[in-house]
Amino acid sequence: MRRIAIVEDEPAIRANYAEALRRHGYDVATYANRADALAAFRTRLPDLALVDIGLGDDMDGGFTLTRELRAMSATVPILFLSARDSDFDIVAGLRLGADDYLTKDVSLPHLAARIAALFRRSELLAAPPASEDIVERGPLALDVKRLTADWNGRRVDLTLTEFWMVHALARHPGHVKDRDALMRDASIVVDDSTITSHVKRIRRKFLALDPGFDRIATVYGMGYRWGE
Amino acid sequence: MKTPRIALSIRAQLLLVLTVFLALPWLGVEYVRELERVLRDAQERTLAGTAQAVATALHDRPRLFANPPDPIASFARERAADAGKGSPTLPPSASPEIAQIVEGLSRTTARIWVIDRDGTVLARAGTLKTVPPQVPPDSLWQRIGRATIGRLYALVLEQPTEDFSDDAATQGAPRGRDVEGALAGILTTERRATSDGKATIVSAAHPIWVGDQVRGVVIAEETANAVLAERNRAFERLFNIVLAVLLIGSLALTGYATWLSSRIRRLRDDAERAIDEQGRVREPLASSDAGDEIGDLSRSFSSVLARLSDYASYQEKMASRLSHELRTPVAVVRSSLENLAASPLPDDARIYMTRAQEGLARLTQILTRMTEAARLEQSLSDVELEHFDLVPLVAGCVAGYRLAYPQAELRFAAPAAAVDIRGAPDLIAQMLDKLAANAVEFAAGAPIDIRLDRGADHVQLVVANAGPPLPEGMRDRLFESMVSVRTGGDAGAPHLGLGLYIVRVIAQFHGGNVRADNRADGGGVAFTVTLPLAAAR
Repeated sequence: MRRIAIVEDEPAIRANYAEALRRHGYDVATYANRADALAAFRTRLPDLALVDIGLGDDMDGGFTLTRELRAMSATVPILFLSARDSDFDIVAGLRLGADDYLTKDVSLPHLAARIAALFRRSELLAAPPASEDIVERGPLALDVKRLTADWNGRRVDLTLTEFWMVHALARHPGHVKDRDALMRDASIVVDDSTITSHVKRIRRKFLALDPGFDRIATVYGMGYRWGE
Repeated sequence: MKTPRIALSIRAQLLLVLTVFLALPWLGVEYVRELERVLRDAQERTLAGTAQAVATALHDRPRLFANPPDPIASFARERAADAGKGSPTLPPSASPEIAQIVEGLSRTTARIWVIDRDGTVLARAGTLKTVPPQVPPDSLWQRIGRATIGRLYALVLEQPTEDFSDDAATQGAPRGRDVEGALAGILTTERRATSDGKATIVSAAHPIWVGDQVRGVVIAEETANAVLAERNRAFERLFNIVLAVLLIGSLALTGYATWLSSRIRRLRDDAERAIDEQGRVREPLASSDAGDEIGDLSRSFSSVLARLSDYASYQEKMASRLSHELRTPVAVVRSSLENLAASPLPDDARIYMTRAQEGLARLTQILTRMTEAARLEQSLSDVELEHFDLVPLVAGCVAGYRLAYPQAELRFAAPAAAVDIRGAPDLIAQMLDKLAANAVEFAAGAPIDIRLDRGADHVQLVVANAGPPLPEGMRDRLFESMVSVRTGGDAGAPHLGLGLYIVRVIAQFHGGNVRADNRADGGGVAFTVTLPLAAAR
């Protein structure tokens, strides 16, 4: 049975999330603060950690905990969950090694789906790729099962949200995807400007590998399009 | 009523105050006048003393005056006077004995006459004209001084001159009031001008007594030139000092005023720079550590600005903090409802569940919108600007709106040429989204005009709808945060009055502005965003 650690200072949310995840068949351990969580992680690493950024008076306790957990294990999936939704927090969290970031607006089914996907990805990363799960668009190769993206044979380090956005765009090249469609495909509920900054981050990650990358085109007033 | 005000700089005011010192020259003139009076008195007394001394030597010596005037000598004198007309030839002394005595008593600067009752000159000695003393060659400064300020003095002051016509020297003994007085037995002094008016002669006449009879008169004469020269020297020195003081004083005051006003100007510039056109504090004012009142002013400016800035940022963060604080309880409600939904519920409970979730969705939407403006402002700091053509962007957006709002009729007009601006296309699109959504909402089915007008150095983006005109007084407030003219009653999407605020933020970020006008024909409202062209930035 997979074990999920929830680090959240708000008792009601902690209990609700724990109950929902238990219903999905996970073993859930909950911690109210960073010290308790860290002590528990030292004796036994969880299979996945759901971390709130603000932990009581410890405003950035979640960030600190992520760094410490990442130092203990490079592979444990870490999912940020926060009331904050500023770009700065998202970028800071992802840079520290978190695998994805969700605001507390997320619904429980979405949360469960996201957790399942993260598990699937970490599980399948080790297994050999099966060709039927690969979506190839020129230099782009998306492994839908492992949720990984490669550009010219090199791995692009995308978060789950970002992977699904790239997948939604690349599946039908030339078709314009509006922001609502991207949100649906990436199963996130955010406002338009967050989509914009997600797309910007995705572009930046591809540009880091290939300075000539220009496949994601903005169609003003409509959305985005994957160009061939 | 506005009172008329005279604008005077601090420098001008201080220089005006300096005019008080112009009383100094007046005081100087008074002082010099007094000095001149004292000198004149002294000169008159000295002359009187001289006349008295000579007379004392001649008193009670009837023998000297016994001889009647020698007709031959008299004739010879007249001939000599005729021959010497125009030249200061001395008439010969009629009385060698008196001449001898007078010679012994004479002074260099004074002329002494001894005459008898008939006015016959018995003796005379000395001359009125003095040879100017040999002065050492002037230094350069003295020459410059004489060439400049000396000229000025020469215009104002009466200059003593040795070049005057001395009538008495050629025409015999003077017979002025003083001689009359002396003949009457009284020591009399008199001042008279020379016939050409170039000099003043001071004379003192003393009677010569023989017994109780006045037998002759001693006249001591002197020009007033020495006094005049002394007065002029005093006047010039005084004025040189006053002028120097005035000059140094005004230079010092001007310098001081310049320093003072430059500090005040700097403070003013800093204060103006500290607040941008929208009244937001751009940068804190560096407070001066000067201990005077201007330093105090700068410090209080600085603290006022700091407080203003704190308050403004408190206000700006208010919405985002509120939304952040509300997110946690909303998450509690949401997760509780979702857990509840996962458990078996009676059918009537499902209805309430649905309603609760609808309310929750609206609450979430409000929270998202509340943070949108704050997040936009936050993200402006690291937006990358690029050059791009506004026409295809707006055209693309309009095409998108035609799909998004099939019920609205959109008309679009743009210049054929490219309209290059420098900015963030995403932000411009976001701004247009807000304007379009606003127009569609108010148009009520009537056509919406979206137009691009290119000017010399700017471009105007006009979004006009046929909706109801704006209430007077709302036009300027429309673009403020949390201001809306909607009358409410719309149970659909929540309105926080942030859309047009976002439009303003983006327009200003691009160095432009936005305004709302009722159309001239009253048939709707036009929103005009003015942006500078790329070349103009």
